[in-house]
Amino acid sequence: MIEVNNLRKEFKKTIKEPGLKGSVKSLFHPKTEKIAAVKDISFDIADGEILGFIGPNGAGKSTVIKMLTGILTPTSGTCTINGKNPTHNRKNYVREIGVVFGQRTQLWWDLPLRETYGVLKEIYEVPDDKFKERMDFLNEVLELEDFITSPVRTLSLGQRMRADIAASLLHSPKVLFLDEPTIGLDVVVKHNIRNAIEYINKKENTTVILTTHDLADIEMLANRIVMIDKGSNVFDGTISELKSKYGQIRELNFDTNDSEAKERLVYAKHFKVNEEDVIVEQEGNMVKVRFDSSVIPVSDMLTYTLGKIKVNDISVKDADIEEIIARLYKHEVG
Amino acid sequence: MDLIQLFLAYAKTGIKTRFQYHMDSFLLSFAVFFREASSIFGVYFLLLKFDTLGDWNIKEIFFMFSIISATYSLFIMFFMVFRDFPDWIKHGDFDRILLRPRGIFVQMLLNGADWVAALSHGAISVLMFIVSANSVGIRWNATNILYYIVTIISGTVIQGAIFVFFSAFNFYFSKNHGIKEFVFWKSRRFATFPLSIYGRVVQNILMFVIPFAFVNYFPAQYLLRKSDMAAYPAYYMYLSPVIAVVSFTIAYLFWRFSLRYYQS
Repeated sequence: MIEVNNLRKEFKKTIKEPGLKGSVKSLFHPKTEKIAAVKDISFDIADGEILGFIGPNGAGKSTVIKMLTGILTPTSGTCTINGKNPTHNRKNYVREIGVVFGQRTQLWWDLPLRETYGVLKEIYEVPDDKFKERMDFLNEVLELEDFITSPVRTLSLGQRMRADIAASLLHSPKVLFLDEPTIGLDVVVKHNIRNAIEYINKKENTTVILTTHDLADIEMLANRIVMIDKGSNVFDGTISELKSKYGQIRELNFDTNDSEAKERLVYAKHFKVNEEDVIVEQEGNMVKVRFDSSVIPVSDMLTYTLGKIKVNDISVKDADIEEIIARLYKHEVG
Repeated sequence: MDLIQLFLAYAKTGIKTRFQYHMDSFLLSFAVFFREASSIFGVYFLLLKFDTLGDWNIKEIFFMFSIISATYSLFIMFFMVFRDFPDWIKHGDFDRILLRPRGIFVQMLLNGADWVAALSHGAISVLMFIVSANSVGIRWNATNILYYIVTIISGTVIQGAIFVFFSAFNFYFSKNHGIKEFVFWKSRRFATFPLSIYGRVVQNILMFVIPFAFVNYFPAQYLLRKSDMAAYPAYYMYLSPVIAVVSFTIAYLFWRFSLRYYQS
C-alpha cells in the first residue's frame, strides 16, 4: 500500500552573520547551509494497517508526513502510495488521502459546521446521494449531530477534532493521515476518538498513519510502530517486538524497615556488573531497584535481596512502553 | 461548469461569513467607502484650484477614477489571497490547498474574496461612473461599451498580475508585505491622475514596470481623446488586453516556478 524508500529532505538555511555589516553582506552574498531534516527513512505499510509514527520533537515526523501527503517534494528517495507518487499528478493523488493536522483546522471557522461539509462536497465532487449516505455514516461514528449547526469557532476542542476527522473522511479516502489527533483532549474524548478511528479502520479498511506523543493512542490503535529520531529510522516493528527487544528492564519495589537498605544492597559488586546496570533508589521505607533482567535474572535478584535485608512486601514490575520509548529517545538503549 | 459550481460554493461561504459579523462588515464597508471618498474629495479640491490637470477636467478625472475602482473591486473578488499570501503560508492554509484535488491557482482565486470591500469599491466606481460617464462626451455605442468591458477585465487582470508576481517571492522569503503594498498603492495613487503630468521616470515605471497606465489612463484616452495622448504612440490605447495577457502570463509562470521552492 505505502512504500517509503530512503526518503531524504534537505532544507536550505541562510546563515546570518551578526551585525549590520553581516546583514548587508548576506543580502548580496547569502551564505546558505543545507540541513537534512530527514536523512534516510524507509518503511512499508500494508493495506488496512494502522501505523504509529513516533519520535521526539524535531525528529522529522512532520517533514515525512508532508512528503507523504505531497506538500513537500523529497530531495531524494521515493514514496509510493497505492502505486502513486504524491508529487506527480497531485490532484489525482490527494483524492485518495485524508489529512488531519491536530493543531490546525480545515473547517470554515466562522460558519456553522454544516457549511464546511457543503464546500468540501463541491471540492471533492461528491454526488448528492453519496454525500448524504456518507454524512449519515460519519454522523453515526463521530456523533456530529449535536453541533452540526453551530459555528465552528464555538465548538469545544473535542468536537472540533471529531468534525475535522469527519471532514477528512468525507471523500472516503483510502489512506488517512492523523497528525496529533488527540492533542489537548481529555481522557474521555481521547477514548471516543480512538474508538472512532478504530471503527473506521475496521469497517472501511482504511490505512491509517498516526503521529502522536500520546503513547496510549499507539497502544490502543497501532498494529505497528515506526520510530524515527534525527531524521533516521530507530525502530520498526510491533509493540510486542518493541517490548521484547527493549523491555528487559524490570523494576523491583519493596517495603522494608531497614533505613540503610540502599547502602547494604551492593548489587553491582555482588553480580559483578556495571553500576549503571542496577539503579537503586530509597525513599523512607520504599526501595526501588531498576535492572536489566537479561543481565541479572529476576530470581537471582530476589534471592540476593531477601537474603540481605528484611522485607515486608515485594513486587516486580514490567517496564511499560512509555518508559521504553522515553529511554529510546534519551538513547539509553538501542 | 464544474468550476462555476465550486465558485458558487466558495462565494456562498464568503458572503455567509460576512453576515456572521453584521456590525463588523457594516463598519468595514463604511470605512472603505469613506477612505475612497476622501481621496475623491482630495482630487475635487485640487481641481477647484487648478480647473484642469494637464488638460483633464474634473469629470474626466472622475471617469478615470471609476475605472480604477471598478477594476480594484473585481480584483479583490479574485486576488485577495495573493495580497495576504504571507499570512496564508504562515498559518498553513496553503498546505491545505495543496491537499485538495483542485488546481492550486484556481483554489487561490476562489478562496477568500473580500465581498464587503469589493462592494464598497464597486459602489464608489458606480457613483463616479454616474457622475462622469454622460458628461465627458463619450458616445456609448456598442463599440465603446465593448471597449469599456474589455478595459475593466484587462485592468483587473493587470492588477492581479502585479500581486501574483510579488506574492511568488513569499516562496523564497516569508516576508515581503512591505514592498508589495508600497509598490501597488503608490502606483495606484499615481494612476489617479493623468500620466502626462508626471516626470519621465514615473511615466516609464507606470507604463513598463508596474503597468498601471494601461489599467485606466490609456483606455480612458481611447474614450476621451485628450490632447496629451499625442505624446504616446496611438496604439497604446489598444494595448491593455495585450499587457494584461503578457503580464499575467509572466506572473503566473514565475509563480508556478517559485512553487517548487515552497518549504511549508
